[in-house]
Amino acid sequence: MKSRKYLKVYRQFLHTSLASELEYKTNILIDFITAILSLIGSIFLLSIFFQNDGGIGDWKFEEALIIQGIYTILNGITNTWFNPNLTEIVKHVREGTLDFVLLKPIDSQFFISLKKINPSGFLEIMLGFFLLIYCIKINQINLNLGFLTLCLITIICSISILYSLWFFISTTTIWFVKTWNATEVLRSFLYIGRFPLNSFSFSLRIFFSVFIPIAFLTTIPSEVFLGLSQLWKIFVEIIVAIVFLITSRKFWSFALKFYTSASS
Amino acid sequence: MQKNIIKVKNLSKSFDISSKEQGLKGTIKHFFKRKTKRIKVIKDISFEIKEGEIVGFLGANGAGKTTILKMLCGLIYPSEGSISVSGYLPFRRKENFLKNITLIMGQKQQLIWDLPPIESFYLNASIYDLDKFEAKRRIKKLSDMLEIDDELFIPVRKLSLGQRMKSELLAALIHEPNILFLDEPTLGLDINAQRNLRQFLKKYNKETNATICLTSHYMKDITSLCKRVICVHNGSISYDGKLNLLLKKLSPVKEILIICRSEEDANKLENSSFSVKNKTKNEITIIVENNSITSSLKNILNNFDIEDLYINEPPIDEIIGKILIKKEYGI
Amino acid sequence: MGSNLINRKIFTLLKVQYSNMLEYRVEIALWAISGIIPFFMLNIWTNNNLNESINITDIMLSRYFLCAFFVRQFSVVWVVFSFEEDSLMGKVSPYLIQPLNPFFRYFAQHIAEQITRFPFALIIALFFFIFNPDSIWIPSLGILFLSVISTFLSFLIQFLIQSIIACLCFWTEKASSIERLLFIPTLFLSGLLAPVSSFPEYVKTWIYLTPFPYLIDFPANLLSGNSINLSGGFSMQILWILILFPVFRIIWSAGTKKYTAMGS
Repeated sequence: MKSRKYLKVYRQFLHTSLASELEYKTNILIDFITAILSLIGSIFLLSIFFQNDGGIGDWKFEEALIIQGIYTILNGITNTWFNPNLTEIVKHVREGTLDFVLLKPIDSQFFISLKKINPSGFLEIMLGFFLLIYCIKINQINLNLGFLTLCLITIICSISILYSLWFFISTTTIWFVKTWNATEVLRSFLYIGRFPLNSFSFSLRIFFSVFIPIAFLTTIPSEVFLGLSQLWKIFVEIIVAIVFLITSRKFWSFALKFYTSASS
Repeated sequence: MQKNIIKVKNLSKSFDISSKEQGLKGTIKHFFKRKTKRIKVIKDISFEIKEGEIVGFLGANGAGKTTILKMLCGLIYPSEGSISVSGYLPFRRKENFLKNITLIMGQKQQLIWDLPPIESFYLNASIYDLDKFEAKRRIKKLSDMLEIDDELFIPVRKLSLGQRMKSELLAALIHEPNILFLDEPTLGLDINAQRNLRQFLKKYNKETNATICLTSHYMKDITSLCKRVICVHNGSISYDGKLNLLLKKLSPVKEILIICRSEEDANKLENSSFSVKNKTKNEITIIVENNSITSSLKNILNNFDIEDLYINEPPIDEIIGKILIKKEYGI
Repeated sequence: MGSNLINRKIFTLLKVQYSNMLEYRVEIALWAISGIIPFFMLNIWTNNNLNESINITDIMLSRYFLCAFFVRQFSVVWVVFSFEEDSLMGKVSPYLIQPLNPFFRYFAQHIAEQITRFPFALIIALFFFIFNPDSIWIPSLGILFLSVISTFLSFLIQFLIQSIIACLCFWTEKASSIERLLFIPTLFLSGLLAPVSSFPEYVKTWIYLTPFPYLIDFPANLLSGNSINLSGGFSMQILWILILFPVFRIIWSAGTKKYTAMGS
């Protein structure tokens, strides 16, 4: 059965990747400290916004913290899966070993996206999770099954959109080899995800909803948490996620076609 | 009757390359508008390979051997013509096709750097749908053939080059493919490792009847492994046939190394009608056509005072080097 | 005579690197775009009238962020990543044999890229003025000159800090993690996301003892015409350079000693 094979292969990926990453324990520690500092810095910035009766959008400080929590979880997922595999594909293209990947009887997008894992990202995910739990407490949010399901759906959609954006950059390696630049652009734009959508002016709000869907990534799930969300927004997010996933796959096949007709 | 497992007909491949003028002005122009040229690197080639054959692709750098090999694997999409490998179209990269082939590239590795090779083997095994027992069995068989054992449990980065090469081979062969593509496999290896690789390939071919296509710069690879050689020059095939026939047809000369009694004698020989290859003090090497060896020898022995004499074939490198440089040689 | 030779070396290095830079036009454009965070931050500040909480008119705040963008564009440093990549690819050994400290090469690369970026930065500034016509102003020649110097000093400080971290590559595998860690305080404390004047008092007491405010806040305030301590700022910048340069020399010679002793 196909899915059994892919699950088996993924278990191997996990095993081999963790085994090699855990050789570098100090790295994991440094990355975790970086995640903590980044969170502290962003909360510090938020406090500056909220000082002297200031505020952003119509959000209270405690509510804005939820966005920070979701952002941290998403950032952790990025650092666990998306980033390390981006580095891998850059290495493959540069060293000419992408050919080995293409000759394996396994889906190349699966291989490229999931081969590596960076355990320090796990700590960041947990950090975001704890912040989220703390926020649920201080905002006195009621948890019930329907609510949790909605939250899960929106977060899965956010992860899919985020994955598609990162995989898009990974795919461009085939043309550009070096991707720091594109990665930096994506990171700068994603940083906006730390703040609620309506802290921005109207035109930027449109920009961040339509052109670069940062809004979907953090604001919509946060609104679900606060019970502020509307069902149509959730539907839109689901559709956006599906569209992004399909587009990322199509772009990858296109890139492979280019690679196989242009490389020598 | 061995059937043809690889069939190539009228195959061509063109690439678009961007060109740039020299100097700063050229760079600025290039910044605003890129010019591309279409270059045909493979021009209308055809050949067929039978199952179990070992075929060597010979050619200068840039002649197109690697491109041909990659087209046979399915890594490069042909521009014109047809390829069929084991009945499949390679560039479709169907799963059953991929399970039957393997590509080994010199100095490029697929093993995971920080882990022992055995981990990479099990990873490959799961990708190729082998269960654990089958994988274990094949690893044992191949490691016996390759004569490696404990090294499989040491991280790849700590292995010597020779051990790494053997591990790479194992990883590439764990799924028992019956067509092997090797691109410059002995690149960067020392003499021992090269010899080991050649012996292993010969053994493997004998035991499994696998078809082997390899490209190489090292003549020893081709001469010790391949009965058949395909010479590629500027994207076309200039020779396709038995290696020994090629060598015979191309070396209608022999070299005679003459050791004279004195330097004067050597100088006399140098100024005679023979074509001289090189000369040091009292030793001189001359080149003589095969059909005039006897008369030349008579001439030398009668007219010159010599101490010793050796008759040699010119080095194989030079013979094959001629193929790489000359365009036509009437074969 | 000696200085003539050095000048020629510098000029040739610059010319070669400039040629290199022009090859990567897309990359340059992307780098320029990735500096866009200050504008998004500005949007948050003005959209929520947060400038009132720190007693600055929103015009001055706009100019501050525009200047922060410029200062960042021309002082951003990435030498850690270049060095780490070169050492992974084994390019450092040949550099060490040449009678030129490889960091000069990186220095020239950075200057060359800044020159190439200048047109893109100007275009972005143009867009800024189109969207914010009230903020249009032209700084006086004197201020411009001083700001250029101050930005260059900020660049030097960051270059030295990153070079010191890059030298850690001689001892550890992943010096870039340390750089990512150090980037966090740079991001939050340098004035890129919020002017230092908006920070709470307890931060302002110690922040001027660190190099951070002199990286963006001081040059940006200088250029935008906000009131600042001119001599104090310049002396601190120079002081930090005087401290960091010998540290770099020491770590560099210790590193090369170790490198050549171990035999790469």
